[in-house]
Amino acid sequence: MASRRRRGPGARRLTVVVVLVASMMLTLAGRLYYVQLLDPNKPVQTAGRLHDGTIVVPAPRGQIVDARGRVLVDNTSTQVLTVNRETLLALPDEGTSVLARLATLLGSTAARLAAEITPCSPRVPAPCWRGQPYQPVPVATHASTAVALAVSEHREQFPGVTLATVTQPNYPNGTLAAHLLGYTGEVTAADKKANAALTDADTVGRSGLQQQYDAVLRGIDGKQVVRLTPQGTVAADVAGGDMPPVQGNTLVTSIDADVQKLAEMSLERQIGDSRAKGKRATSGAVIVMDPNTGRVIASASYPTYSPQQFIGGISKANYAALTAPDSGDPLLSRAVAGQYAPGSTFKLITASSLVAHQQIALDGSYACPSSVAIDGRVKTNYDSESFGRPLSLQDALGYSCDTFFYAPAAAEYYADQARVSAGQKPTEFLQRTAAAFGVGRAPGIDLPAAEQASGSYADRETRRARWTANQAQYCKAAKRGFPDEPDPVQRAYRTALAAENCTDGWRYRAGDNADMAIGQGETTMSPLQLALAYSAMLNGGRIFAPTFGWAVVDGAGRVVRTITPKVRSRVPVPRSVLNYITDSLAFSRGWAVSGAFAYIGSPYQSLIGGKTGTAEVFGHQDTSWLASWGPLSRDATGNPHAKFVVVGMVEQAGTGATAAGPMLKRIYDGLLGADGPAVIPGSRPETVLPRIAPQVRVTSTPAPRGPTIHGERRQPDAAPTRPIRVGVSR
Amino acid sequence: MTLLARDPRAPFSLMPSVLPLERRARGYDWVLIAAALALSLAGAVLVWAATRDAARAQGANPEGFLYRHLTNLAIAAVLMVVVSRCDARLLRLFGPIVYVVSLLGLAAVFVVGTTVNGAHAWIRLGGDLQLQPSEFMKLGLVVGMAVLFAQRDAERRSCSEHARDEDASPTTSDVLLAMILIAVPLMMVMLQPDLGSAMVLAAAAFGVLIAAGVRARWTIGLLLLTVLVAVLAVKGGLLAEYQVARFSSFTHPGQDTQGAAYNVTQAHIAIANGGLFGTGLFDGPQTNGGFVPEQRTDFVFSVAGEEFGLLGGAALIGLYAVLCWRGMRIAADSERAGRLVAIGVVCWIAFQAFQNIGMNLGLMPVTGLPLPFVSYGGSSMFAQGLAIGLLQAVRRS
Repeated sequence: MASRRRRGPGARRLTVVVVLVASMMLTLAGRLYYVQLLDPNKPVQTAGRLHDGTIVVPAPRGQIVDARGRVLVDNTSTQVLTVNRETLLALPDEGTSVLARLATLLGSTAARLAAEITPCSPRVPAPCWRGQPYQPVPVATHASTAVALAVSEHREQFPGVTLATVTQPNYPNGTLAAHLLGYTGEVTAADKKANAALTDADTVGRSGLQQQYDAVLRGIDGKQVVRLTPQGTVAADVAGGDMPPVQGNTLVTSIDADVQKLAEMSLERQIGDSRAKGKRATSGAVIVMDPNTGRVIASASYPTYSPQQFIGGISKANYAALTAPDSGDPLLSRAVAGQYAPGSTFKLITASSLVAHQQIALDGSYACPSSVAIDGRVKTNYDSESFGRPLSLQDALGYSCDTFFYAPAAAEYYADQARVSAGQKPTEFLQRTAAAFGVGRAPGIDLPAAEQASGSYADRETRRARWTANQAQYCKAAKRGFPDEPDPVQRAYRTALAAENCTDGWRYRAGDNADMAIGQGETTMSPLQLALAYSAMLNGGRIFAPTFGWAVVDGAGRVVRTITPKVRSRVPVPRSVLNYITDSLAFSRGWAVSGAFAYIGSPYQSLIGGKTGTAEVFGHQDTSWLASWGPLSRDATGNPHAKFVVVGMVEQAGTGATAAGPMLKRIYDGLLGADGPAVIPGSRPETVLPRIAPQVRVTSTPAPRGPTIHGERRQPDAAPTRPIRVGVSR
Repeated sequence: MTLLARDPRAPFSLMPSVLPLERRARGYDWVLIAAALALSLAGAVLVWAATRDAARAQGANPEGFLYRHLTNLAIAAVLMVVVSRCDARLLRLFGPIVYVVSLLGLAAVFVVGTTVNGAHAWIRLGGDLQLQPSEFMKLGLVVGMAVLFAQRDAERRSCSEHARDEDASPTTSDVLLAMILIAVPLMMVMLQPDLGSAMVLAAAAFGVLIAAGVRARWTIGLLLLTVLVAVLAVKGGLLAEYQVARFSSFTHPGQDTQGAAYNVTQAHIAIANGGLFGTGLFDGPQTNGGFVPEQRTDFVFSVAGEEFGLLGGAALIGLYAVLCWRGMRIAADSERAGRLVAIGVVCWIAFQAFQNIGMNLGLMPVTGLPLPFVSYGGSSMFAQGLAIGLLQAVRRS
């Protein structure tokens, strides 16, 4: 193989390059062959060319209805304007002109809209879109008809903009029963952590019955499966994968909307009347319940709020207004979650305890001076009234004599102190009776635990425990005073209190026991607790765990669950004693019962009984109470019964007889039909569950976040609810 | 008959040999042009296939990239024709200018450049028009080195009476000068940082050095130095994080299928999906689905692999082989400067094709490099048009 030419070094060098290049090409060819034909483990695209994305179709929440099947919370459909971001981005100007037109229509700015539709990420702060990137983003809920028309009439100007009809919780009666119904909110990360089934599209109950019965009301979300291109745009709907949402069950409550309305109106009117008389009357509450079943028929609190504000997320301004220091805390359900010194209304418990423990006799008479000295401190009657003659327990309750109860309460205290000195346990009958009537324990009503007050009372053990825990703070506060307190009277009072607490805070005194006997001192109860205690008086001593919920009815109208209040405990007081107290407080006794005067002359005076309370709160005007019941009847054995227990409270409104008395009278007028037909048929609590019509089958279409599309409510000429791509320009 | 024989009447012998000095001017190398044109047209189809679905999905013209690619091709063809009509002997005049202008272009990047995919390697000319000077630098370096060696050779020959062998090894000073010529653009490209272009520059320069007859100890020494610098760069943190990630994902491809290795994995899936005959034009699910990032540029070979299978992929590799073979033939037939230019161009295109296809096939680490003639991209297309034109000019001189 001799070359015809000389093979010079140049040729050799070229050969090196040739070999290198050739080997590179051969390597590539060999590798290609291996990858395409030989490789036993060829990789395959597992993701598939197209993948499926699921759009959650949120289930409409169940309704909440009253005891007669009338709607308290339902759903309403609104027009929601959604923007498909991908469609906009595909436009030559990336959608800027569409957003500008839309912004003019909605009174927003194009920049704001652009931010709202951009998916959130660590680099994209709010406002941004928290849902799936391929889902259309709602930019306007409650779109007005004008906006809806403008968009649907000029589709070509709004490519990627779609009108969807969605459902949202709706409170058709405005603020009616706001506190017990509660409000809803958007799903948070914490919610999703607690319940994996939740999605961003859902609405969850945040307070009241909405929260307590959230699982019942929420329903089952549906889904729409769409096929997505790898770019994330919707290529097609996938038939068969769709699941319609199932609306939540209906919650039937024992609330009677008419009684509720009456209670709220009467409360609001009383606030006005008391203010007109120069009282501050900052807040109030009314509870109407059935003492025989433990069901609550009405629960009113003032001030109140509109749960509708929370639909679709409450605005910052609205929330700030609801929680501002001078707002009066409208979100607080005072009837259930507020706790106040019950004043003389507590004498039910005191009298029960004294008689049950043989500390006073039903046929005995005891002094009612204008004041008594206990441990060197003078305690007076309200307005230092006095009766020149000894009173029976009946009159002491009726006239509401405080000093009558001081002596036995102090005596009980001294007896207990003797036992403590002897190394025995104190009996603390008053405290034990209070506990038996439910004071100091959450009432166990079907509301979130944070929304029910347990009330309180003082005893030796808790006092000492609290002092041990806080002594250092008391002493520090006593030393420093309260320089931040602007009111000099308050400042002096608080400093003196701190000084006393520092040294003697552990001490439970005779005066404390006397205070408790008249529902003062550290004794507090919620209006609901008081209603439960008086219910026990009228039902033979049963303390109920009361309920708002009555039944859960499914979409087919079947009752899936009946909610019955349970008897939690029985008060250890003989029926005869309870009956004695009931009779003592019957308004038929006229002027002998304080608080009756508002009812004197009314046709039903003899059917009502009640105990007033005028609780003193340091630095405030008196809290006005009336715990009442009626219409009274007697069973075969002579036991008194009442169909309703009605408790009313107005803070800083004066005596029980002047504020709570007239307030509840208006409610009795309605309940008993004094001026027209009774607001509640038969003037008795509803006993038969209402029939709930089966839900109309919901045919839903994909909804943007939060609200749901409610097919059957769609107007015939409404825009298609499916996100459609309009006018994708080339 | 020998494989190494070179006879005008035996034009298809595989190996080029070196002709005596006297030779006659020849015409265009139509085989070379045909190969380049075939690659470019294949590129047009592949770019079209890679872009039409995504463009349609975004509401853009599905043929937009095809048209732009064809426009680039037309411009490149004009450049090729213009350059090929020049006398290659003008190289000595223009070589330094081409080199310096390319270098200035590279420098300009640092002042007015824009960043794409981590590399600060582009100059925006307004609108969609961008220029990537490192593409032209490849040509500049090859020409510059060729002129340097030829010039020094010629000077030595004219100074010393005794006729030196044209193929004598360059002196140490020649090599050091060449090192400077290489080092300056290499450093600048590395700083952008555009590792792919740096590797191609090094490969082209390496080819020119070998062809120039630089002694083995130099070439081997340089190779070792390159390896050393590479190791230091990785260990010493000279490379950007994403570059190290690309290398480590190359050595451990399974580790990170969503990050740096994602491109490779998706391209691998596409190519493996092609099999022997491929899925057919426009029918590649991996391509149509837009799974392979940068598919119209760096990963255009995966389109060929998926839609045209082994046959299509091998055809592309074959076309590069033909291109390199014709380039080598031109080198073998040329006097010194022309030969070095031709070898440089061949090494450039061969290595760039190897690196690009190699990374598509998981043989090489991912560096941002277009597949010569095939990938979408104006600058590389123009530079390669100029290179083919230069080969023709060398051949015709």
